[in-house]
Amino acid sequence: MNRSALKSILTAILIIVLLIMIFPMLYMIVLSFQKPGSFTISVDDFAITLENYIVVFKSNNFGRYFFNSAFVALTVTLGNMLFCAMAGYGLSRGFKKIARPVFFSAVAMLMIPAHVLILPIFKMMLEFAWFDTYLALIIPWLVAPLGVFLMKQYIDGLPADLEDAARVDGAGELSIFFRIVLPLCKPALAVLAVQIFLTTWNSFLFPKILTNSEDMYTLPVGLALMQDPRSSDWPVTMAGSVVAALPVIIFFLIFQKRITEGITAGALKQ
Amino acid sequence: MKTDSKVLLFSLPWLIYLAVFWLYPIGYSFFLSLTDYQLLRGTGLYIGFENYSRLFSDPVFLKSLKNTFYFVFGTIPATTILALILALFIAEKTPGHKIFQAAYFIPSITAMVVVALIFYNLYSRGGYIYSLCLLAGISPPVNGFLQSEKTALLSIMAMDVWVAIGYYVLIFLAGIKSIPVELYEAARVDGAGFIKRSVGITIPLLKSTFLFVIVLNTIRSFQIFVEIFVMTSGRPFNSTLTAVYFIFDRGIIRGDIGYASAAAYILFMIMLVFSLIQFKLINIRKNV
Repeated sequence: MNRSALKSILTAILIIVLLIMIFPMLYMIVLSFQKPGSFTISVDDFAITLENYIVVFKSNNFGRYFFNSAFVALTVTLGNMLFCAMAGYGLSRGFKKIARPVFFSAVAMLMIPAHVLILPIFKMMLEFAWFDTYLALIIPWLVAPLGVFLMKQYIDGLPADLEDAARVDGAGELSIFFRIVLPLCKPALAVLAVQIFLTTWNSFLFPKILTNSEDMYTLPVGLALMQDPRSSDWPVTMAGSVVAALPVIIFFLIFQKRITEGITAGALKQ
Repeated sequence: MKTDSKVLLFSLPWLIYLAVFWLYPIGYSFFLSLTDYQLLRGTGLYIGFENYSRLFSDPVFLKSLKNTFYFVFGTIPATTILALILALFIAEKTPGHKIFQAAYFIPSITAMVVVALIFYNLYSRGGYIYSLCLLAGISPPVNGFLQSEKTALLSIMAMDVWVAIGYYVLIFLAGIKSIPVELYEAARVDGAGFIKRSVGITIPLLKSTFLFVIVLNTIRSFQIFVEIFVMTSGRPFNSTLTAVYFIFDRGIIRGDIGYASAAAYILFMIMLVFSLIQFKLINIRKNV
């Protein structure tokens, strides 16, 4: 078989898979514009109406969910950028005998399934009186082991000459970190930021168990609890889904390169 | 103080988080699992390992473990093999390969709640997948795929493969790109075709990528929860009840924190064993 015939066959298969991957997303978008009460998209009953979006924002509090999601995801992302860079720097340049086991602890925590910790975290948040507040949605998530891992690996690859030169000039440790190390970390910070933002924006289990008033719900929680899917008004549910999913998809299309780098960074380290 | 000791202080944020939000909960969880702590009562008494022995004779818990294993070992081979094949195709630089790579990835960055809602609709009686089966002459369960004990878990597994695949395609592609081009030159001279090259050169060199993909996917799959919460709540007849859903239901919904903590610990231990085995495999690879 010659190369061009092979390529045509492969392309045909890839296109079929593409349709399977994209169809449910397109279905969601089109169904969100159908008449309220429709169960699915039908030729006879086809419509384009914004009514469902109005319902979602007016009677379902989606404006508030959107704000919560954005506020929590942004704060958690900024926190991780600062604290993981600090930790990565400390573990990369710090006294090796201690830094090495501490770094290993971060790698070990990467392997811990966070979902098995829902009960102690839930109880701790009750005891701290952080339950159902932004504190519970933000504070426990500010230093991700993944971030510590990524930043330490990245800083390992940076030469220490500049820091040493600044030290000889009498610069303080904090100013060395903020003026020299942090700016050099930009590429790694971008990768980390994108990863953390996506995970936080999409996360469900912890925001679900750590909140119980509608004003504190994030988009995924509000969406899941909006209606019982068995009796729900599907175009409205899909309008809510679009509100939750579209920002992330647009974000992905803009930052595609960074996202791909973040995911493959770990893979290539193997 | 010496410079490298001072610099070490920068790792304090991680040390604090390690202690407060990782090690303490891990310990606290074990402590809770030895009590009969009830959320409503607000107190618990030390009861030793009673929760554990009760769990091992609790048919619902055992069922949840069985479902979880079924889910993990059913989806991982399918996802891994399909992702590998698609990555091999895309790596041939077919026209539009960048578009395929990006489009396949979209489901895995979409919130699981959203995906679960869309598929709930598609799987329902009268939904598109349901109707497609009717058209193809396959008779779907009368009330929809998620309402039948026979098809509910399988349907969720199929959806999971759909969601996860693009993510692993990306990792396989990164692995393929890291293979030096020279290795393919001899094959090109011999005129080896796509299949020969893939089986003879690419796949054997992807062993560590395989392990990485399987490790990631195992950790993720054992924790399956969101789709169960949105789609079935473990129904029908507990046929989709998974371990994390069991922990959530008994611990958070019913407030039986002690009992659910013991269940969480058992799941934790099972996953730890898997992680250690996989780590061992990776190390063996490195030493070869």
